[in-house]
Amino acid sequence: MVVSVRSWVANEGGKHLVLMLWLGANTWLFVKTFLLYSTGQQYYYLYKMLGLGLCISRASASVLNLNCSLVLLPMCRSLLTFFRGTHTVSSRKTRRLLDKSKTFHVACGVAICIFSVVHVSAHLANVVNFSVSFSDDFPALNLARYRGEMFSLRLPCSLIGCFSSVPGVTGVLLVLILFLMFTSASNYEIFWYTHNLFIVFYIILMVHMVGGALKYQTNIMAHPPGCFRMNQSSSAEQGEELKQHEDGERRCREEAHFQPHYPQTWLWVSAPLCLYCAERFYRYIRSSDPVTIVTIIKHPCDVMELRMLKKNFQARPGQYILLNCPGVSSFENHPFTLTTCPTENKETFGIHLRVVGDWTERFTQLLLPQPKIDVEVLPVVQQRRYPKVYVDGPFGSPSEEVFNYDVSLCVAGGIGVTPFACVLHALLDGWTGFRLQRLYFVWVCRELQSFYWFAELLCALHHKLWQENRPDYFNLKLYISQEDRLQSMSEEKYGPLASRLQVGRPRWKLLLDEIGRANKQKRVGVFCCGPKGISRTLHRLCNSACSSGTTFEFNKESFS
Amino acid sequence: MGKIEWAMWANEQALASGLILLTGGIVGVAGQFRGWQFAAYGVAAGVFVCLLEYPRGKRSKGTSVARTGQYCFTVCVKAFGPLTRNYYVRAFLHAAICVPGGFMLATVLGCVCLGIASLIYLAAAIRGEHWEPILPRTETQRKPVPPSIKNPPSNPPPRPPPEMRRKRVDDLEGAAYDNPIPVTANEY
Repeated sequence: MVVSVRSWVANEGGKHLVLMLWLGANTWLFVKTFLLYSTGQQYYYLYKMLGLGLCISRASASVLNLNCSLVLLPMCRSLLTFFRGTHTVSSRKTRRLLDKSKTFHVACGVAICIFSVVHVSAHLANVVNFSVSFSDDFPALNLARYRGEMFSLRLPCSLIGCFSSVPGVTGVLLVLILFLMFTSASNYEIFWYTHNLFIVFYIILMVHMVGGALKYQTNIMAHPPGCFRMNQSSSAEQGEELKQHEDGERRCREEAHFQPHYPQTWLWVSAPLCLYCAERFYRYIRSSDPVTIVTIIKHPCDVMELRMLKKNFQARPGQYILLNCPGVSSFENHPFTLTTCPTENKETFGIHLRVVGDWTERFTQLLLPQPKIDVEVLPVVQQRRYPKVYVDGPFGSPSEEVFNYDVSLCVAGGIGVTPFACVLHALLDGWTGFRLQRLYFVWVCRELQSFYWFAELLCALHHKLWQENRPDYFNLKLYISQEDRLQSMSEEKYGPLASRLQVGRPRWKLLLDEIGRANKQKRVGVFCCGPKGISRTLHRLCNSACSSGTTFEFNKESFS
Repeated sequence: MGKIEWAMWANEQALASGLILLTGGIVGVAGQFRGWQFAAYGVAAGVFVCLLEYPRGKRSKGTSVARTGQYCFTVCVKAFGPLTRNYYVRAFLHAAICVPGGFMLATVLGCVCLGIASLIYLAAAIRGEHWEPILPRTETQRKPVPPSIKNPPSNPPPRPPPEMRRKRVDDLEGAAYDNPIPVTANEY
């Protein structure tokens, strides 16, 4: 597959531009701070003492400041949903960049880890240099208590020195918290609990520089660094300076005064932190109303549909919510895409959830009535007691853009069909109001039974569009990936589905070629929600050349 | 939720602490700190911990994702049998390894992180978990093919007797017959 420049730029250009800007900002900040400390007049004596370690540690500290402030911004989900929805960001290209907010967050996190390592290593070198280059001329500048402190005793007095200063203690605590926070998402609960230590991290970060060890010179005008000082202990260097400055051009008028920096991190970090805390508070207030559960429907293949009702709840097709059920676990929030949004006629909204892990298993056990085998079941109406459920959201997702293309291709794998189910419901309600003129819908499942989750919805939409004389609007293709036996839907009412059902995996190249031929010179939005294999193949195909001049823009929905 | 697999978390933390110990040791040796022997020990201990912790164990519930290229490490670690299988042994081993790191500034972070990982391993061991190697699936574990596909069909498809099938050029209309089983063209 030849990568076409135009397709690549359309798909990847925006992301890579933001990446370049971010890398550029980090590099510029690093170099600027490095040069400030290596050539700045107020750091002249300190640099002579500590050398490169000073510059590297301060430069990495400023990069850390930048990344610690940026890392919070992509996680303000309500704010991003607002940007997506109100079209304040009017260009579709810019809205597509919002899809990658989690990737940006991870990139900033990785940068924080790497530069923390650099920062700590450089400060270790600084501790040694403070002791080796103990300055007799400027005692105020020293951190060590005497020359060779690091090497004098066997016991780790450097450790004691480190732990007796605020930067030392806070530094160790910060590294420990980072260490705990960066467990991978292999275990969701641990990840969630340790990641919420971020607030402790930020509080400690803001006091990290109190009582700083690195001092700058305050009186550069009165005492130009490197000036000739009388009554100094002799050294070869002073002898040379005597010869050079015998005319007394640069005499020190006074002693050098030093002052430690006061903390600057709060300048960088406080605004994003306040924004994020405000966002969390807003989300907490918004989700404090429990929802009313209206119905529970059991579907084949371990899927349950849950219909709920909540006051003042509005959502757009493609958005997702976070469910919290204190009866199962008090602190866990699990994301589920909405499959029906509330409309003017119908206020309920629904989700389809697949029973996969502990939380979903326990949740469905609480919702469904327990089968009583031993007791004689008399026809008595029992009051169904549903557990309390809180809903946080809705939050935006890439699938909201389906309506903003002329032609869209939606590829769903298994339970990944849920965002598109909401889109189909919206089309069923009224397909004329959108920019969308044609929708290709490909749904790949392992088993035939899975198609029954939305069989009625698909047939209803198909019939409606045929009745209203737009048969080319909705093009459906269903695939069963398990090839061991021939299967088909036997019901009469699902006839349109049975004739569009194929056994075997779809051949994506042929599919994209067919769509390209039918929509020449157009921009087709490709939306994929499914396993990694499918999305990788589709991404590669969207970046490669298409003979009919069609551009495929790839949008991936990650089920995070 | 009571179903957290502590060993998975402990494994991640121990691998990270091994790397931190290694980095601290390298810095200590390169900077020729006093007590650089501890830093050299930190390098060796860090490498050892990384090698021990690189192969991920198998989850008791759910799919386990192996790290890239971990198969040879899995074989080595498995060869030690109960020493590596038991998490009590690992917890005490990590606790013992981390102690000498605490004597030097460069390796103290690695020491504390490894200590935390050792505590999590202790929690895992108390809950009764143990290390299972992730081995590639063997041929016998593949799903058995349903019996209907194994043997080729024993009977020919139903056809009318040969008299009818012989081509009758003179009476083409009468030669036509209906297939008992409907035949459709292959559609892709």
